[in-house]
Amino acid sequence: MDMTVAKKKLGLKEKYKLLTRDLGWEPTYHNKDEVFPYVKYEGIKVHDWEKWEDPFRLTMDAYWKYQAEKERKFYAIIDAHAQNNGHLNITDARYLSALKIFLQAISPGEYCAGKGFARMGREFPGVGTQVACQMQAIDEIRHAQTQIHALSNYNKFYNGFHAFADARDRMWYCTLPRSFFDDAMSAGPFEFMIAIGFSFEYVLTNLLFVPFMSGAAYNGDMATVTFGFSAQSDEARHMTLGLECIKFMLEQDPDNLPIVQNWIDKWFWRGFRLLGVVGTMMDYMLPKRVMSWREAFEIYGIENGGALFKDLARYGIRPPKGWDDAGKALDHMTHQFMLALYQYQFGTAFHSWIPSEEDMAWLSKKYPTTFDKYYRPRWEHIKKLKEAGTPYANMGLAKLCQTCQIPTVFTEPDDPTTLCHREVEYKGETYHFCSDGCQHIFEKEPEKYIQGWLPLAAIFQAPLNGDLGAWMEWVSLADGKDNGDFAGSEDQRNFEAWRNQATSNQ
Amino acid sequence: MSYQLTIEPLGQTVEVEEGQTILDAALRAGIYLPHACCHGLCATCKVQVVDGEIDHGEASNFALMDFEREEGKCLACCATAQDDLVIEAEIEEDPDAENLPVRDFDGVVSRIETLTPTIKGLWIKLDDPDGMRFQAGQYVNLELPGGIGSRAFSIASQPSAGEVELNVRIVPGGQGTGYIHEQMQAGDRVRITGPYGRFFVKKSARVPVLFMAGGSGLSSPRSMILDLLEEGFDLPITLVYGQRNREELYYHEAFLELAAKHPNFTYVPALSHEPEGSAWEGFRGFVHEAAKAHFDNDFRGCKAYLCGPPLMIESCIATLMQGRLFERDIYTEKFISAADAQQVRSPLFRSI
Ligand SMILES: Cc1cc2nc3c(=O)[nH]c(=O)nc-3n(C[C@H](O)[C@H](O)[C@H](O)COP(=O)(O)OP(=O)(O)OC[C@H]3O[C@@H](n4cnc5c(N)ncnc54)[C@H](O)[C@@H]3O)c2cc1C
Ligand code: FES
Ligand SMILES: [Fe+2]
Ligand SMILES: [Fe+2]
Repeated sequence: MDMTVAKKKLGLKEKYKLLTRDLGWEPTYHNKDEVFPYVKYEGIKVHDWEKWEDPFRLTMDAYWKYQAEKERKFYAIIDAHAQNNGHLNITDARYLSALKIFLQAISPGEYCAGKGFARMGREFPGVGTQVACQMQAIDEIRHAQTQIHALSNYNKFYNGFHAFADARDRMWYCTLPRSFFDDAMSAGPFEFMIAIGFSFEYVLTNLLFVPFMSGAAYNGDMATVTFGFSAQSDEARHMTLGLECIKFMLEQDPDNLPIVQNWIDKWFWRGFRLLGVVGTMMDYMLPKRVMSWREAFEIYGIENGGALFKDLARYGIRPPKGWDDAGKALDHMTHQFMLALYQYQFGTAFHSWIPSEEDMAWLSKKYPTTFDKYYRPRWEHIKKLKEAGTPYANMGLAKLCQTCQIPTVFTEPDDPTTLCHREVEYKGETYHFCSDGCQHIFEKEPEKYIQGWLPLAAIFQAPLNGDLGAWMEWVSLADGKDNGDFAGSEDQRNFEAWRNQATSNQ
Repeated sequence: MSYQLTIEPLGQTVEVEEGQTILDAALRAGIYLPHACCHGLCATCKVQVVDGEIDHGEASNFALMDFEREEGKCLACCATAQDDLVIEAEIEEDPDAENLPVRDFDGVVSRIETLTPTIKGLWIKLDDPDGMRFQAGQYVNLELPGGIGSRAFSIASQPSAGEVELNVRIVPGGQGTGYIHEQMQAGDRVRITGPYGRFFVKKSARVPVLFMAGGSGLSSPRSMILDLLEEGFDLPITLVYGQRNREELYYHEAFLELAAKHPNFTYVPALSHEPEGSAWEGFRGFVHEAAKAHFDNDFRGCKAYLCGPPLMIESCIATLMQGRLFERDIYTEKFISAADAQQVRSPLFRSI
């Protein structure tokens, strides 16, 4: 074991330094504040950018090599999936609804994250930060692309996939993630890092990818499993970037603490609301389920979040303001959201359905204190109406939350039988909120949120003027194909017919 | 069946059991390797295998590419040894580590003294006339007879002292410490193995040092302070030292004397449960409170070394951080085994 000779090759640390140092020049004919105009206005004080740690020290040449290899692997697998009619291997066509929601609501978020990081790579003065943001920008665009490509194979056969980009902008349930990302992208660079790095990557990504990927594996969807693995291989780098940013802000100056605390409060709540979509998908839309949303949140939210907040307490950060309300919502949120999706199912670009007996038995086992008491009776009622030939549809429009932009369908934290609704008057206008959390966010920056665009309101405005058919066209929803109940849908019929063809001799 | 795992550039060798991952073996031996997911997904723990055969375990194809497997890379969190191994990891070399070899030393207990009602001092004279080379702050494993096995104790004496001194607090119901307190006699032959640990003063940083010690955690700081003063370290040294009551505050007089003799050494004793109205005129309260008061909540510019029970360490870390001293300047020795320490992984910190 004589290795003294080989020892002089450059360590990663030195190599990284050499490969990044030329980005760090001092401007001579402009002052630094003009070159980096947005880095101070949020109030974050930085004394020494060198203290920003980038533990990965990935150099660009190595980065390209890895990502290229990941892409080659990924496309080989999804090509095979397409050639072998992989879409017929899924458990059941109901599973497609989960994919449609993912594509309409989550993949565009990856793209937004990419745009955001491209901007942050320009706006942060620190060299390590610039390089890390640049890589993450490319990663996120890659995530969006691989997801779209993986799911485009389903688009060849099924409804509801074709207009995900329009849905992202205009669909009412997509406004939840859209407003999350728009809020983040229009924030300053440090807040963006908390929104994406802390809230989206640290608190949400595990909840999103781990159960979703295992859900995909359980339900026979190898294309999704593959994009999941491919994206996960970047996540450790992403989380680290976000968490290093929090550490950096807290260590640079004591005045940063209240600002960071406020962002943690805000983005925890925004993230928790966003998870409503994911949770509902997990509890209601996977024909074969891995774990309930509640169980997933206990593992990835409470345990991981708890560990992080314990660490942050050393800096004087307390757990996010909405933490207790989130805990109270755990046993209710997905049921309330699914009921909302069902009753507006004429306006969703995926199918929903009344849970079967077997589904309901599972739900009452997973939610023993709430499902039978509050939600089973409603499903039974809805079922009766449907059997009587008068299926329930809510043709009214619920108030929309000015912050998270979804209809106010959730209940009071301490009373699951009363809808939670808050109002604030600002400059002579009344604004509505779904929760204390969303109201507080608005009150801290009203001038930002009054500019929010709530696309559902368009249905009453010119040129739609209340015409539901015109609205459907506007959101690119093919009536009778993309929307409505799963039972009797084209997706259901086609999947069954094709699967029969593939598995029998007829 | 176990194998030898050598970790470069430290040059340290640890045991790895059949089926145990490289990461686990390193962490348990107190060597930090970068890691995150621990499931072969994120590639944070990638290391180079220089010599020996490994099994890649569950390493994901996206986290460890084929070309990397061919280059001899592996994911430490999944890879297991099939052979004695040499790996090279991205570990920053520590200019203050002497990387002294671990050896077995036989010796004889030359005396045992009762330092407090719960702590005994134990002096061991080694057979080897050159004694044991160690860095002040390191610890040894003391082998105990009758199938008890070995127990870890920090060395309380400085490297130049002729004998190895250990200060052992009795653990209620503890086999090992019970044996030392109740049965061990002067004249007994013993074997120690060491030196272990990476808890020593970062002398090369040339900044003031702060020691925070509580309970039986005085040993390392005492050794480090004696060593620093002996070699003429001229920057400020502060010892904040806490016990429950005056009876437990061992070596108090000795530290008062040192402080009188060395103007750069400040001694801040603190008692948390001293009966009210006693003759004690020093600080009443916990170590972290005494430190905060003494430093007026501003710890910037120094390096802090903490040694004591987990609760004390935790409060001291929070106090230091809120007084603006952060992980890169805080060093701890926790008196728990590496196995316990690994149960909750910190998302933000590596070593504190
Ligand atoms: C690096 C290192 C340095 C150490 N230095 C010293 C030292 O200088 N002086 C000293 O007195 N001790 C020191 N310790 C602690 C010492 O090793 C333990 O107290 C000892 O191993 C206990 O052995 P035992 O056989 O008496 O107890 P065991 O029979 O092993 O355990 C009895 C019970 O006590 C609990 N227990 C064991 N150790 C501890 C502990 N440390 N804290 C709380 N509960 C415990 C066990 O979980 C068990 O329930 C050090 C430990 C480490 C890891
Ligand atoms: S720690 Fe993530 S791959 Fe090993
Ligand atoms: Fe992503
Ligand atoms: Fe809201």
